Amino acid sequence: MMIASMQGVVKRYGSQLVLDYIDLDIQEGEIIGLLGPNGAGKTTLIQTLTGITAFERGKVELFGQTENPFSNQNKEKIGLVTQEITVFEELTAKENLQFFAGVYGLKGEEKKKRVAEALEFVGLADKGGKMPTKFSGGMKRRLNIACALTHRPKLLIMDEPTVGIDPQSRNYILEAVKKLRDSGTTILYTTHYMEEVQSIATRVVIMDQGQIIKEGTVNELIQTVQHEEKVKMDVTDPESVPIHSLEKIAGVKKVIVSGSQITVISAVHSGNLDRIISIVKEYAGVLGIQADKPNLEDVFLTLTGKHLRDKGGE
Amino acid sequence: MTIFKFALKRSFSNTTNIIFLTLFPIACIFLPNGEEWPFLPYGYQYFGLLILFVGIRLATIILEDREKGVVKRLAVAPISHFQYLSQNLLAYSIILILQCIIVVYGGVLLGKELYQPGWLFILYGSFSFASLAIALAWISIYRNKDASFLVYMSLIFIIVVLGGLLIPIEIFPDLLKRVAVIFPTYWLAEGLKWIVFSEEILDFLLINGVLWLYTIVFVIVGSIRKIN
Repeated sequence: MMIASMQGVVKRYGSQLVLDYIDLDIQEGEIIGLLGPNGAGKTTLIQTLTGITAFERGKVELFGQTENPFSNQNKEKIGLVTQEITVFEELTAKENLQFFAGVYGLKGEEKKKRVAEALEFVGLADKGGKMPTKFSGGMKRRLNIACALTHRPKLLIMDEPTVGIDPQSRNYILEAVKKLRDSGTTILYTTHYMEEVQSIATRVVIMDQGQIIKEGTVNELIQTVQHEEKVKMDVTDPESVPIHSLEKIAGVKKVIVSGSQITVISAVHSGNLDRIISIVKEYAGVLGIQADKPNLEDVFLTLTGKHLRDKGGE
Repeated sequence: MTIFKFALKRSFSNTTNIIFLTLFPIACIFLPNGEEWPFLPYGYQYFGLLILFVGIRLATIILEDREKGVVKRLAVAPISHFQYLSQNLLAYSIILILQCIIVVYGGVLLGKELYQPGWLFILYGSFSFASLAIALAWISIYRNKDASFLVYMSLIFIIVVLGGLLIPIEIFPDLLKRVAVIFPTYWLAEGLKWIVFSEEILDFLLINGVLWLYTIVFVIVGSIRKIN
């Protein structure tokens, strides 16, 4: 089932084109990792999708509605975890959740229950009575997430939810995101941390200069930039290994010997790893093997380039 | 009414606000009478200044929400900007009206000579709404609450002096007397004079009418800015 869709959405700030005919479909149960360098248009995309910012051309569909996608009925099904920590520092963690639960129309016992659940979910069950001013960065981030969960949204939009926090809190948040997906929540997740997307996203969308330049699963994206396979072996006696024998193996493009390391570069999907290892083993002891595969970061840098993007915010 | 409830809670959430909202109005009741000017006890003349300070302190909560991005989050929630703003303003108005009740009727209980306490309460009420509206319009210009508050404090001082609330307007040169009418504080000072000297009721209605005009215009100006 389609949860949200953007078709040919265009948005300009003055003369600057920020969203350039964006087409994006979000299916139920997906975790979409939205990646892009600074200024790519990620935040604007989120703001357009949620109705915070108006767009000038195109169509946004939410939960099957195109006529009035930002109706209160639809808004009740959306949760937004903002990039900034948008909690009230003068209220306790519990009061913060009560506020947001109340805004979403929850009342009485139901509200109480959902607030307790949300606190439990983000690991702050025993901190409900504390002020966020006493919280660490990670705890504040988790409270920020909890504020978007009390009404159990069907679509949860998370805009860089792990910025500036410790690895434990980050891990906790990523595990929580997976749990949310397992409970049926659809998630749109933006971040600059590739490893986060690699570990949680069912689909990755890469944006640059207001356009979606690539989308697919992590493996699909990796395959688009993987043109060769590289195997590095640390061996006891590299001079005794017959390099010409390795070069003759089907698929091998190049063999490089450097110190005690032999690097064999093959065409992608050659399936020759066993053969390479057996030849090397015949003549020398193998101390270690490392297969270099491109990761999401390589894909990202290949698609968006390596030049710095210091122009400013999105 | 979640926003209303929490607006009240947040208004009393720090010591400075508690002092501004409770102790200062009570202190106003106990200030002595002037010899020739002001015609009402000092506390009742300077209460206008306090209303202006309280107005900006309360409205700053809205600016804080915008600065932090809370408004962005609320824009995604099933609640309109009008509901958000009206519930906040309702909470702040109630606080201001309660202050007016404390000051006026506290004075009556203590036997202060307030001439016409009922009309005085209405005048303070009108000025409170105008003060809140001006503060709302003021914070709509800013992104940073500290800068907004500091500049407004300086501005308050100028309009309080030029409006004739701290110094009798009669001692001003003609040009300043003419300029003074643009300040809401001038109309408050005129209203306070009316309370003592009870001239035409139409004059009092005009004074309140001008203050309400300020309220309407500035609420409209202040409501335009929504999210960023």
